[in-house]
Amino acid sequence: MAEIRIENLNKSFGAVSVIKDVSLTIPDGDFCVFVGPSGCGKSTLLRLIAGLESATSGRIVIDGRDVTALEPYDRHLSMVFQSYALYPHMTVKENIAFALRTAKTPEAAIAEKVAKAARILRLESYLDRKPGALSGGQRQRVAIGRAIVREPKAFLFDEPLSNLDAALRADTRVEIASLHKSLAATMIYVTHDQIEAMTLADRIVVLNEGQIMQVGTPRELYERPANVFVAQFLGSPKMNILPARAAEGMIVLPGSSSRLAAPAGWGGLVAAGLRAEDCTVTGPDNGVLSGIVVVSEYHGAAQQLLVDTDACGRISAFTTADRDLRVGDRVGLDFATEKLHPFDGGGVRLA
Amino acid sequence: MKPRLTLRWIVFAIAAFVMNFPVLATLVTAFKSSGEVSRNPSLWIEAPTLENFATVLTISDRLNVYHYLWNSLAAALIGSVLPMIVAFPMAWAMVRRGYGRAILFPLVVNLRALPLIIFAIPLYMMYATLGLLDTRLGLGLLLAIVNLPLALMLLVNAVAEIPVELEEAAHMDGARLPRLLFKVVLPLCRPALITTFVFGFITAWNEFLFGLMLTTREAVPMTVGASFFFATSGGGVQWGTASAVMVVAALPPLLLGLIMYRRITGSMVAGAVKG
Ligand SMILES: Nc1ncnc2c1ncn2[C@@H]1O[C@H](COP(=O)(O)OP(=O)(O)OP(=O)(O)O)[C@@H](O)[C@H]1O
Ligand SMILES: [Mg+2]
Repeated sequence: MAEIRIENLNKSFGAVSVIKDVSLTIPDGDFCVFVGPSGCGKSTLLRLIAGLESATSGRIVIDGRDVTALEPYDRHLSMVFQSYALYPHMTVKENIAFALRTAKTPEAAIAEKVAKAARILRLESYLDRKPGALSGGQRQRVAIGRAIVREPKAFLFDEPLSNLDAALRADTRVEIASLHKSLAATMIYVTHDQIEAMTLADRIVVLNEGQIMQVGTPRELYERPANVFVAQFLGSPKMNILPARAAEGMIVLPGSSSRLAAPAGWGGLVAAGLRAEDCTVTGPDNGVLSGIVVVSEYHGAAQQLLVDTDACGRISAFTTADRDLRVGDRVGLDFATEKLHPFDGGGVRLA
Repeated sequence: MKPRLTLRWIVFAIAAFVMNFPVLATLVTAFKSSGEVSRNPSLWIEAPTLENFATVLTISDRLNVYHYLWNSLAAALIGSVLPMIVAFPMAWAMVRRGYGRAILFPLVVNLRALPLIIFAIPLYMMYATLGLLDTRLGLGLLLAIVNLPLALMLLVNAVAEIPVELEEAAHMDGARLPRLLFKVVLPLCRPALITTFVFGFITAWNEFLFGLMLTTREAVPMTVGASFFFATSGGGVQWGTASAVMVVAALPPLLLGLIMYRRITGSMVAGAVKG
């Protein structure tokens, strides 16, 4: 098991720069999740760590050793591919055992490890089948099995659950989490599913256009996003951004007569973020802002509203379902200053 | 429905008969006595006989069918297996590393478009210097060159069909190049390798021109040897014996084709990656 350190890594395909000056340290035993929109370079960064792509510049250090120039087979990592990449001519058992055979593990040890992996992933009854005769979910589990029989320095997962149905996805997610606990291994996990990111990660790395936007625990990222991108990327519905200004120690919101005191350091305020769950729906005359309901979605436990406030744009908010607010109803929106996330003109957090 | 189906079968039968007429005629003639051949040109055999086959299969001081068969077998095996051995790593390097893709690949493939006879004179002189004239190895080497373009084309397609993630997965599993090639790429190319072998063997077996040119006594292949039977006992062509020797010569590649037919088709990569 090992620490992975990335220093000023760059990767270009021809003239297109895909990874831009990325520096990151993933401590030993960490579960690190890369998230970001499609095409932001998550897979590329993972493949750079794996050695499947060569870096244009920068360094990758695994377990204190500079591996930037090493081939994948000399880096001792194991990887689960987005597309499974199972060996179609081998049975499930042979697929899982391939890496062990490559490492010349004694047959007895191979049998034992394969049996253990098959038990964890509930693959026992398929061991003698070929991948072609398995369902998508079973193939994905074989791909995971092939990675976990070894004792690599770190595990790399590229969207390993993307082809599973909701129930199996939740189960396998729990499986991976417990695997991480039992192996205490360094894991890097690529996904664009927020729930996976939030539930699995010790540390989330948010990427956008080949750059790191923020690194932190799920709680840090959710509660103190470093910029508007991270604020809006994590959380559903995405965070409301209000065109707030600070003047004379007060927060000025267009179309609002309420006067909220601005905390210290909010001088350069240009935008204020507000999560839907931090926004209370009140009567039309009570809130900081008021507006007309334009979308009303019933979620069972709660009701999600989209309220058109005119000067502050459309704001989403949660309310209890029993209120039964409908499109066209006039409502007030209330929130506390400490729930606001202050951003400057460049979208960077102020305080 | 019924009458139309019957009609269809009749049409099929006529077409099959017309297209296979030469084969049938040869087959029938092989079982006719020399007297009957001159008397009875129909497809009906009045007095079937094995006399022609007996003639063919008997070793005389001038003709030895077993020797020709052995020469053909040896040369065709060299001529079909050697291109596979050469083309497999070549195909991988071309597809995955791009070596020779721009010039070598089109060049080798276009070799097939040239009439091979233009190589005849330089080859004859080279073979004479190297002592390869009238040897099974010499003939086999030449047949290997004949088969190389097809082998390369089939294997390049087969390697290109393998998802590159499979090879990446093998690297991640710690496999270096040899293990990758022999444990992952080679098995996945099996249908293409079998096709290459069958077509190569048949082409090599049926080759006549170089067999005629490069051999005289020791390494005469079946195709050339067969022609010796046409006029066994002086005088005109012995049609019965000629037909019988052609049947014998055609059997090995025919059997090979029939045995291997089921293995030629089909892809191996089902289930490797999600579709
Ligand atoms: N081999 C390549 N040649 C050229 N461009 C590439 C290559 N591989 C990736 N790219 C580009 O690099 C960018 C990042 O790709 P990457 O696959 O890392 O995205 P991703 O974040 O994994 O996206 P997704 O969530 O859709 O899997 C994309 O714009 C892509 O077009
Ligand atoms: Mg990707």
